[in-house]
Amino acid sequence: MIKNQLKILIIEDEQGLRENITSYFNGDGNICESCSDLSGAIDKLSSYNYDCILLDIGLPDGEGFEILDFLKKKMKDEAVLIISARNSLDDKIKGLNIGADDYLTKPFHLAELKARVASVFRRKITNGNNVLIFNEIAIDLPGRVVAVNKVPVVLTRKEYDMLLYFIANKGKVISKNAIAEHMWGDEMDMHNNFDFIYTHIKNLRKKLLDARCADYIQSIYGIGYKFKA
Amino acid sequence: MKLSAHYNKASIIITISVLFAGAVIYFFAINYIAKQQLDQNLIEEIDGVKAYIKLNQQLPKQVDFDEDLVLFTKTDQSSLQRTFFDTIYKNPKEKKQEAGRAVSCLISLKGNNYKTILIVSREDTEYLVQIIGFITLSLSIGLLLTLFLTNRYILNGLWKPFYKTLIELKSFNISDNKSLNLKNTNVDEFNELNATVQGMSKKVKDDFQNLKQFTENASHEMQTPLAVITSKLDTLIQDEKLNSGQYDQINDIYAATNKLSRLNQSLLLLVKIENNLIDDVELLKLDSLIEEKIKQFSELLTDKQIKLNATLVPKQISASKYLVDILLNNLFSNAIRHNINSGEITITLTGDKLIFQNNGIEMPLDQERVFERFIKSKRSEGTGLGLALVKNICNKYSWQINYYYNVSLHTFEIGFNFNSNIKPKSVSAEIEPTTQGFSVT
Repeated sequence: MIKNQLKILIIEDEQGLRENITSYFNGDGNICESCSDLSGAIDKLSSYNYDCILLDIGLPDGEGFEILDFLKKKMKDEAVLIISARNSLDDKIKGLNIGADDYLTKPFHLAELKARVASVFRRKITNGNNVLIFNEIAIDLPGRVVAVNKVPVVLTRKEYDMLLYFIANKGKVISKNAIAEHMWGDEMDMHNNFDFIYTHIKNLRKKLLDARCADYIQSIYGIGYKFKA
Repeated sequence: MKLSAHYNKASIIITISVLFAGAVIYFFAINYIAKQQLDQNLIEEIDGVKAYIKLNQQLPKQVDFDEDLVLFTKTDQSSLQRTFFDTIYKNPKEKKQEAGRAVSCLISLKGNNYKTILIVSREDTEYLVQIIGFITLSLSIGLLLTLFLTNRYILNGLWKPFYKTLIELKSFNISDNKSLNLKNTNVDEFNELNATVQGMSKKVKDDFQNLKQFTENASHEMQTPLAVITSKLDTLIQDEKLNSGQYDQINDIYAATNKLSRLNQSLLLLVKIENNLIDDVELLKLDSLIEEKIKQFSELLTDKQIKLNATLVPKQISASKYLVDILLNNLFSNAIRHNINSGEITITLTGDKLIFQNNGIEMPLDQERVFERFIKSKRSEGTGLGLALVKNICNKYSWQINYYYNVSLHTFEIGFNFNSNIKPKSVSAEIEPTTQGFSVT
């Protein structure tokens, strides 16, 4: 079974963002530490090991890429997710080439960040046991097979992605905005009409309920949905 | 008309008129001088006749005068003014009529007065005038010809540096990195012109670069505050004690933030395309990409009950996948957003064209301005940059994009003609259009 509690280091100089990311990730039993500059990050990384690092590229005392060089030099295998205001393709390729696992451009939704962290971390551990378990739901990640109480449930690709997304953000209210961006990409201009999301969620919920799964998906007013923990 | 032609015209007109005036004056002057000369000769001959008469006390015989003619007429006049006049006479030697110059005067011999008329031939002088005229005319024609050729070849040669500068200026592109290639010449004026043009183009480029840098920096600086707003909202909605009114407010903030961030990203992208920062060209199967997009947008189509017809032939293009993705996203979003409920979208991909047609408001858009930034209909929820992006991407790859309105269909047509990269093999194999009716209702 995949470890659910992660130890995360957040390297981000914008205080507001740092605090929000920390509080969002902390609620779930994860251990989050944060620092606002390069030197602080190097200090922490020299003394401790983390499961995942969230790395801002533009830091007051240097480029975040130095962290990647540092990790490589010290043979550390932390999963690294770059969060950057720059979305230039150069940055993206540069980051991924020297050891970052994923790249997220600001602004992003916290739910998206959390799903990405979960995904990056899952990819990182390849110890053969790639089954994600949430109560009665078991997801075989390499085979993309979902089972409820060991009975397989057939989901479409979108429903499967959505289920993973919900589980990564369990217990959190996720805005429709964030769901739409996750499922359909932020380049597709939805012009804030998210009605069509409802159909997919309704279908997913129905399939899970039919398989005698507890009713986890909860609609929160007009704003979004919550997967009850 | 070219400058050299203007110059040629002016210089030739002036030269011809000066030459003509000169020739007229010259003709009269020569004639006058020749007449003076003849008159002088006549006076000398008359004096000779007088001397002869005085010495011999008889009138001279005609034979002594060779080609000249002398006539003595007895007269009662006691005085006669010596006069010179032109006349026609019979040349006594050559026995033919000739133009002559005559003088008449009074000579007295042995108490009798004789009116004497002495005529000399004008033929020789006229011949001289003709020769001089002919030489002058030839010289004038030669001069004109030389002038014309000089103007044509030397003047054109002189202006060559100017035309080189002009060609460089024509190929000037504000957004590319190469500077103007203006060579020094040995003409100060052109050197000055080149220096000025060079300086100006550098300044324009620098300014443009600064502007783009500013746009890019400003957009980047906005990303972080936007990220803070988004994360604060994401955190805020975790508080389930909020009431529905507050959630509505939050929804509106989400929408506005979303739009702002989209706007920002589009601006960044525009700058990047203009700066040629996206150059990851690869061979793409446009038909497959469109099919993928149709699937991706199927929910939106369903939501508005839009019927989509696609006729696609296999077509390969060389472009950045990222940009083609954005191009298609914008064309699709545009066709869906401005569509009516239960409307239709027709996508046609041929060997050299991609056509998007959609229903919408029953009125053509402004053909001239539809691709301009921030030009959008009042109802539109979009950023106003979508079609500007489409246009920029097309420009980057020298594709022709056109908009027209035809029988209640808004049509966007992209012509790939200038950069088609079809592999001959796939064309010959799959030239038959495969019609696929995607109808989502």
